[in-house]
Amino acid sequence: MSMRIKHVVVLLAMAGLLGAGMGTAAARADGVPVAYNYSFWGDTVSSPAPYLPAALLNGRDLGVGPFKEPNDLFVTADGDIYVLDSGNNRIVVLDRQLQPASVIDSFVRDGHADTFANPQGIFVTDDKEVLIADTGNRRIVHLDRQLHLVKVIESPESELLPANFVFQPVRIAADKAQRLYVLAVGVFDGFMEFNADGTFTSFIGANRVRVDPVELFWKRISTREQRSRMVLFVPTEFTSLDMNEEGFIYATNGDQWGETIKKLNAHGNDILRREGYFSPRGDIRYTASAGPSRLVDIDVADSEIYSVLDAKRGRIFTYNGDGHLMYVFGGLGNKRGEFNTPVAIERLGDDFLVLDKALGEITLFQVTEYGSTLNEAVRSYYRGDEERAVELFRKAVDMNANLEFAYSGIGKALLRQGKYAEAMQYFKLSMDQRNYSKAFQLRRKEVLREYLPAVLSAAMAVTAGLLLLKKLRKMLRRKGAETLE
Amino acid sequence: MSKALVRFPFYLIFHPFAGYWELKYEQSRKANLIVSFAILVLMAATNILSSQYSGFVVHLYNPDDMNSLMEIVYVAVPVLFWCVANWSLTTLMDGEGKFVEIFASTCFALIPMIIIRFPWIWLSNAITLQEAAFYYFSESVAVLWSLYLLFVGNMTVHQYTPAKTVGTMLLTVVAIGFLAFICLLFFSLLQQIVSFVTVIYQEISLRY
Repeated sequence: MSMRIKHVVVLLAMAGLLGAGMGTAAARADGVPVAYNYSFWGDTVSSPAPYLPAALLNGRDLGVGPFKEPNDLFVTADGDIYVLDSGNNRIVVLDRQLQPASVIDSFVRDGHADTFANPQGIFVTDDKEVLIADTGNRRIVHLDRQLHLVKVIESPESELLPANFVFQPVRIAADKAQRLYVLAVGVFDGFMEFNADGTFTSFIGANRVRVDPVELFWKRISTREQRSRMVLFVPTEFTSLDMNEEGFIYATNGDQWGETIKKLNAHGNDILRREGYFSPRGDIRYTASAGPSRLVDIDVADSEIYSVLDAKRGRIFTYNGDGHLMYVFGGLGNKRGEFNTPVAIERLGDDFLVLDKALGEITLFQVTEYGSTLNEAVRSYYRGDEERAVELFRKAVDMNANLEFAYSGIGKALLRQGKYAEAMQYFKLSMDQRNYSKAFQLRRKEVLREYLPAVLSAAMAVTAGLLLLKKLRKMLRRKGAETLE
Repeated sequence: MSKALVRFPFYLIFHPFAGYWELKYEQSRKANLIVSFAILVLMAATNILSSQYSGFVVHLYNPDDMNSLMEIVYVAVPVLFWCVANWSLTTLMDGEGKFVEIFASTCFALIPMIIIRFPWIWLSNAITLQEAAFYYFSESVAVLWSLYLLFVGNMTVHQYTPAKTVGTMLLTVVAIGFLAFICLLFFSLLQQIVSFVTVIYQEISLRY
């Protein structure tokens, strides 16, 4: 009997270890959920929870009727929340206090009321003009601040597009010059770019094609008829996009390999900084059967901080501008703070909104002290306010000693203050060889400047003394020889 | 005697042809073996110290993966495999070398890897990332020098032509692959047998 109990205990312990290793939302004895991060060596290390679920919003409780398969979410700079309730063909607008402000379900076009059909994407400009990817009607609807129709973009015509092209926009973003970037179904050449007046101009930022060598071999030796029935090598589609304050497009794609997060400049080149311990792509440890993260949404905050949503495991990963993983939270499940089919994330100030498609719910996550310290530290560093950054990084490290990149932040500030030896220690902790080398070079110079004159003088004195001694001995010996004679 | 014991390896690495000739025909076998084992020990020690004390700019190490015993194995096993494979091949290919000579010549060839890399363990703590090029250059020099010594050693010990030596060395690498495979197979089968016996014992002991 006692044997069996022992077995159970061992099994439980193993399960616990496994749970911690897999980074599932294990809970500590005191009820504080434990999050995780990745160390330099790629191990899963525990971290305090950066965000905690604070509220659950659904259509019924808001008094607007239940949401039906909502697909997208948008939060404006002043905190208005636009929920794209696709199944009900409407947009529900909530105010900063999370109370319903209005419902958009139709607009006037040529004197008649017009409605949406299964819209998939929404974007709201700084002037509160609303852009809707009205997927079912194969068009983009542009409404102004008062929700009057500005323009409708229907199937674009261009020699770049095939004759049988069906325009099905699903995600949309606009820059300051009112250019539109549209993610459409079945378009493999990247995002479709439209002018302010709604004319299609070009594609931007195509993903690269990956060719399977085995597949390629079979294609080479097959006949034209056989080839026509094989899978085509086409680039993967993007899954979502967002635009930051400077007009760069942040995009995710659903690939299993390569770079799944991209920051595109005006030429469509990927300029995302990947200076972190790992290139940003969600989870880096996963079982072979589960596979890597499948990123479905991206949200860019200020100070180059961005978050991506992994639909496969329901986790939200947040990175800083250098590509260091700041924190991870969320998960799939039935508890508060877990999702069924998360489709969209948005930041509401420093808080997070996560939209669940199947449940028709929005989970509001409130930042914890740890999360806000880290956010603020990264922001201060981005602003160039190093003293504040170092103070906050130290505070963050006190709460989570596993946060390796924070040590680098402390080290950089110390380096600038001229505390080289101390900076070296911190760079060593964050495995930052480049900055360690910089600090070491300055430290070495300092040490040499301090001791080199003394050492050289001593060496010279010793040499001179030895020479003198030698001469003296020679003279004495000669004298001795003379006396002998 | 002991002075010559220390001086001879240094003579050999700078004058490999004459040195290996002396190693084969003039030095005592006992002296060669003593020096060879000393070199292996020093090599393992250098590797261990290097993995622990090399400078941060050239060497990142995970304390979890650091194992001094394995470092010793990483030196001893390749040398053993090389010698066995080389001996097996050269006996069939008219080589004149005895196993002891092959072993000694292989060990002596490792000397540059010690005398160059040992000081760099400490020097690497005093260099920046820009100066690390010198570190990597020295590492390459050490490896190339050792390879050259191995080549000359093999040639002299077996009294081969250079072309035949190169061929033998390449074949030795292939033979090491076979050896490793056979060892793996052997241990795997051994494991199966052991587990089979233990399971039978378990069955019997549980039944009666």
